[in-house]
Amino acid sequence: MIELDNVVKRYGSKTIIHNISFDVKKGEIVGFLGPNGAGKTTTMRMIAGFTEATSGTVRVAGFDMATQRNQAASRLGYLPESPPLYDILDVTSYLTFVARAKGIPAVEIPRHLERVITACRLEAVTTKECYKLSKGYRQRAGLAQALLGEPDVLLLDEPTAGLDPGQIQETREVIRNFGRDHSVLISTHILPEVTLICQRVAIINGGRILAVDSPEGLQRKADQSNSVMVDASGDRNSLEQSLRAVDGVSGLVIHAHPVRASVLSIDCLVQNVEGIEARIARAITSVGELYRLERRQPTLENVFLSYIGHDGAAVTSSTEIHQEAA
Amino acid sequence: MNALTGLRAIYVKEMLSYFRSPIAYFVIAVFLLGTGYFFTYNIFLTGVGTMDSTLQNMGILLLIIAPVLTMRIFSAEYNARTMELLMTLPLETWQVVLGKYLGAVSIFLLMTAATCINLVPLYLYGTPQTLNILSGYIGFILLGMTCIAIGQFFSALTENQIVAALITIPVLLGFWFVGHLQQLQSSMMLRDLVAHLSFALHFADFIRGLLRSEGVIFFAAMIAGALTLNTSYLQLRR
Repeated sequence: MIELDNVVKRYGSKTIIHNISFDVKKGEIVGFLGPNGAGKTTTMRMIAGFTEATSGTVRVAGFDMATQRNQAASRLGYLPESPPLYDILDVTSYLTFVARAKGIPAVEIPRHLERVITACRLEAVTTKECYKLSKGYRQRAGLAQALLGEPDVLLLDEPTAGLDPGQIQETREVIRNFGRDHSVLISTHILPEVTLICQRVAIINGGRILAVDSPEGLQRKADQSNSVMVDASGDRNSLEQSLRAVDGVSGLVIHAHPVRASVLSIDCLVQNVEGIEARIARAITSVGELYRLERRQPTLENVFLSYIGHDGAAVTSSTEIHQEAA
Repeated sequence: MNALTGLRAIYVKEMLSYFRSPIAYFVIAVFLLGTGYFFTYNIFLTGVGTMDSTLQNMGILLLIIAPVLTMRIFSAEYNARTMELLMTLPLETWQVVLGKYLGAVSIFLLMTAATCINLVPLYLYGTPQTLNILSGYIGFILLGMTCIAIGQFFSALTENQIVAALITIPVLLGFWFVGHLQQLQSSMMLRDLVAHLSFALHFADFIRGLLRSEGVIFFAAMIAGALTLNTSYLQLRR
C-alpha cells in the first residue's frame, strides 16, 4: 500500500533522506521510529505528497506520488505532527470542509462525520471552535480529519503526543481497529507504542533506515544484551572463576565499586535462561559476600539506542562484556 | 472528483473564515467609512452630482485596504500549519489558489455593492450619468480583483501577514503611480510602457466612461499572471 523505493530528499546541497526503501502492506501497522531530526517527518511529508522526493519513487495505493498525486491523495489520510486545525471554525464545520475537499458526496457527509466523531470521541466538542479545544481534543480532531473518507492508507505523525493516558489508550484502540483492514504508518518516539500496536518497525536516523523488523525481532536482539549487575566482595579471581562456571553466563566485566573500596562491581552478560539470577547469587555466596544483584531488563529502548548510536548504559556494559569474554 | 467540488470546498471554507473572524467586518467598515467620507466631501465641495472623484478616491483607498484583506490568505495557513493539510488533500493547487481568490473577491464585491448606497442621494437630488457610473464601477471591480490577485501572491511568499501587507502596499502604489513617470521619459516606447502599466491611467479611462478593451485586457492579464505565479510558486514549494 505504501512503497518507498530508493527515495532521496535534498534541500540545496544538503541531503536529508538517503536512499530509503521500505513498504507497508495492507492490514499492517508499521511504526516509524527515530529521534528528533532523524528524517521521520520529511519522509512522512513525502509519502503524503506535501513535499516531492528529489529522486526515487513513492507509491501510495499503487499510485506514483510524483505523477498521480491526486489519485494517491484521495486514498490517504494524513495527520501531520501539529494537528492542522482552522482555529476559527467549529469542529463540525472543519470536518465538513475536509470531507468536501476529499470529494465525499454531500448526502454521505453526515454519516462520515458521525463515524469519525464517535471513533475519536469528539461528541462533546462538535460545536466548539477549534481554538477553544484542549491539546488532547485538538489531536483527536486532527485524527478525525485523517480518518474521514475511510482512506486505504493512514499516515500519523506522532498521533498520541500531548494526550493523557486514557486518551492514548483510546487513540491506540482507534488506530488498531483501523489497521485491521487498512495500512497505517505511525511515526513516534514512544517505544511501548510500537510494541503495543505495530506489526513491524522501521528505525530511522540521520535520514537512513537502520533496521526494519517486527517488535519481536527487535526484542530478540534486545535479549542478547541481557545483563545482571552484581556488587560483591571476596577474592577477585575466585569470584571470576566461580561466575564463569555458571551455565548461562557468557561474559564478565569486573571493576572497583565507585564508593566502597572492598566491594567489586561485576557486570555479567547472560543468556536469556530461567533462574540465572539465583545461579549467579549461589556462585557468589559460595566464594564471597553478595551485596546487590540487579537484572537489567531487556528493552526495545536498548536496541533502538544502539541503532541510533546513543549507546545507553546497558548497551555499553554489554559491549564491554563481549570484549572481556572475547 | 469533480473539479468544482474541490474549488467549492475551499471557497466555502474561506467565506466561513472571513465571517467568523473580525477581518471581513473590519475591512468592510473601514472601506465604507472612507468611501462615505470621500463621497460627502466631493459632493459638498464641488456641488456636482457625479461619482468621478469619489471613484478615484475609492481606487486609492483600495490600494491600502486590499492588502489588509489578502495578507492572511496564505500566510495564516503557513502559520497555523494548515498548509500541510491543504497541500495533501486530493485538491489541485489551482483549486486552492482560485477558491481562496474567489473568497476574497466575494468580500470585495460585497463591500463594493455596499458603496452603491451613495447613489441613492445622487439620483434623488441630481442627474448623474448612469453609463459613466457603470463604467467606473466596472473599472473599480477590475482594479480590486487585480489588487487582490497581487496581494494573494505576496501572501503566499511569507509566513508573516504584516510582511505580506507591507510588500503588497508599495507594489500596488507603484503600479498606481507609475503613470507619473510618463513625463520623465524621452523615448516613446518607454512612455507607452509606463502608460500601459499604470493602474491609475487605465482606471481613469473607466471613470470617464471609456470602457476600452485595452483596459479590460490589461487588468485581466494582471489577474491571470498573478494567479499563475501564485499556483506555480506553491507547486515549486513541494
